Amino acid sequence: MTPTEPPVLDPAFVADATVVVDDVSVWFGQKVALSDLSCSFGPGVTGLLGPNGAGKTTLMRAMCGLIPARRGNVTVLGLDPRADRDVHARIALVPEEEAVPEALTARQLVRYQAALNGVTDPDAVERSIAEVSLTDVADRRLGGFSKGMRQRAKVAAALVTDPEVLVLDEPLNGADPVQRVALIELFQRLGDAGRTVVVSSHVLHEVERLAARVIVVVHGRLAAAGDQRSIRDAMADRPRRVLLRSDDDRRLATGLLGLEQVVAVELGAAGVTVSTGNAGELAFALPTLSRSLEVRLREVRALDASLDSVFADVTNR
Amino acid sequence: MTAATALRPTGSPWRRLPALVAYVPRACLPLRRLAVLALPCATILASGLLSLAIDDRATEAFSDVAALGIFGLAMPLGTLVIGDAVLGAEVRSGTLAFTWLTPVRFWELALARWLGGWLVALVTLVPCAALAAVVAGAGALVGPIVLATAAGAAAHIALFVLIGAMTRRAAVWSLAIVFVVERLLGAVLSGIAQLSPTWQGLAVFTGLGDVPGVSSRSGIPEGWGAVVRLGIITVVCLALATVGLRRLQLTGARD
Repeated sequence: MTPTEPPVLDPAFVADATVVVDDVSVWFGQKVALSDLSCSFGPGVTGLLGPNGAGKTTLMRAMCGLIPARRGNVTVLGLDPRADRDVHARIALVPEEEAVPEALTARQLVRYQAALNGVTDPDAVERSIAEVSLTDVADRRLGGFSKGMRQRAKVAAALVTDPEVLVLDEPLNGADPVQRVALIELFQRLGDAGRTVVVSSHVLHEVERLAARVIVVVHGRLAAAGDQRSIRDAMADRPRRVLLRSDDDRRLATGLLGLEQVVAVELGAAGVTVSTGNAGELAFALPTLSRSLEVRLREVRALDASLDSVFADVTNR
Repeated sequence: MTAATALRPTGSPWRRLPALVAYVPRACLPLRRLAVLALPCATILASGLLSLAIDDRATEAFSDVAALGIFGLAMPLGTLVIGDAVLGAEVRSGTLAFTWLTPVRFWELALARWLGGWLVALVTLVPCAALAAVVAGAGALVGPIVLATAAGAAAHIALFVLIGAMTRRAAVWSLAIVFVVERLLGAVLSGIAQLSPTWQGLAVFTGLGDVPGVSSRSGIPEGWGAVVRLGIITVVCLALATVGLRRLQLTGARD
């Protein structure tokens, strides 16, 4: 008798899903924001990664019911967040937008959320404010808060409802390094406690510190999903583009063609654009090359350091 | 902790209502907007003073000025400032998400925003209208103008809540409805005037104040009949606003 093999799960899905996004498409007029996107989220921290304009915010808003899926379905804890109002006591969103009710104090905002969600624990408000280290400024108006402080106030307002699903849209934006560490630890604690925490970011290393599991969205489509290692592997062995400027670009371009790390060379007005399969080795080879060619290097700049190109490349694979 | 959350009741709508209503003056009407609201309040008071310049009996002079200055201009503008603040401005800025993403029912949200806005009108615009009547020396018209402005404000704010729930450009649409539909078309077509809070508010005033000739329009009930009609307009607008809130798409600014 052969032992039954465990089912192989698509990395975009989890077995114990609390949020299921099933073939969801969202569009606004001619603009397609999400296209046939399917994935699921479960307990623990999941990073939602993608360049600006990829559809992360739209996906998060659809997950919370703020915008309807034009096609497909979203369920949160088995319920439709557009139709079932009670599910909103179990899911909380920290929106990325800076907009807050500016005339309210941080404490009033958290109290408002507590009142609307039927929170009966009298200490919940102060506890949530303390969690994000805003106790000292809780009676100041949100209008006078910095971007980072506003984000923390919104996190406190979300935490006061003790949600099972916490959706955070770029929650670390504007936070100083100390607060950044504190928030990351807080989200990880919540994930370890069995909460479903979905955190979006366009910064890869930020997501790496936050989440073991990553969903990558590019151009409204699911580009990759899995653990950090598989995502990083998918990105590591891709060609990168580097711009070089020197006092003799033509000579440099000719010399570069002889390097094995170089895939392609393009000479332009801005300098020499090099495509390389191994940026690290190229960095080591460049000083030797410039010395041998007697060319003075003025600038070495990675053109695709931003995630946009990295994601685009992952998508096209 | 998770199980406790799952079992936590979301609370009765009526227990949430005070928090929802209190949010309106606290959060929706910051100082900047209150400063804008001061303008229609000043216009209402100025109407009382202006009527002193008319060489007529105080009640008739005040009625004439009130028809134009208070019901035709200041009340629609004042209620627009309030009505847009309670919902439309929140939709535009994105802050409505803080309320939308709670277990609050859409009817609760519409009702609370309207009630909060109406209470603001009751402590700003309506006392100004009463004071204007006193300043004009038309003390007998204080009661009618208080009732007319209160009932008119109720219907107007409900109308603006409805517009806020239907479109992101609520302020523009509200202005268009006040000046193009109510003032322009309503002045010509009695069918529109019959559904207009501006004309109905004036009809309450002229009916209860017994100042005939100011705004008699065919087909429009005056006095208490107009109050009832304004009540109906309010209820219908709030019912439609509930439907609008259900269909509302709160899109982000970026994606």
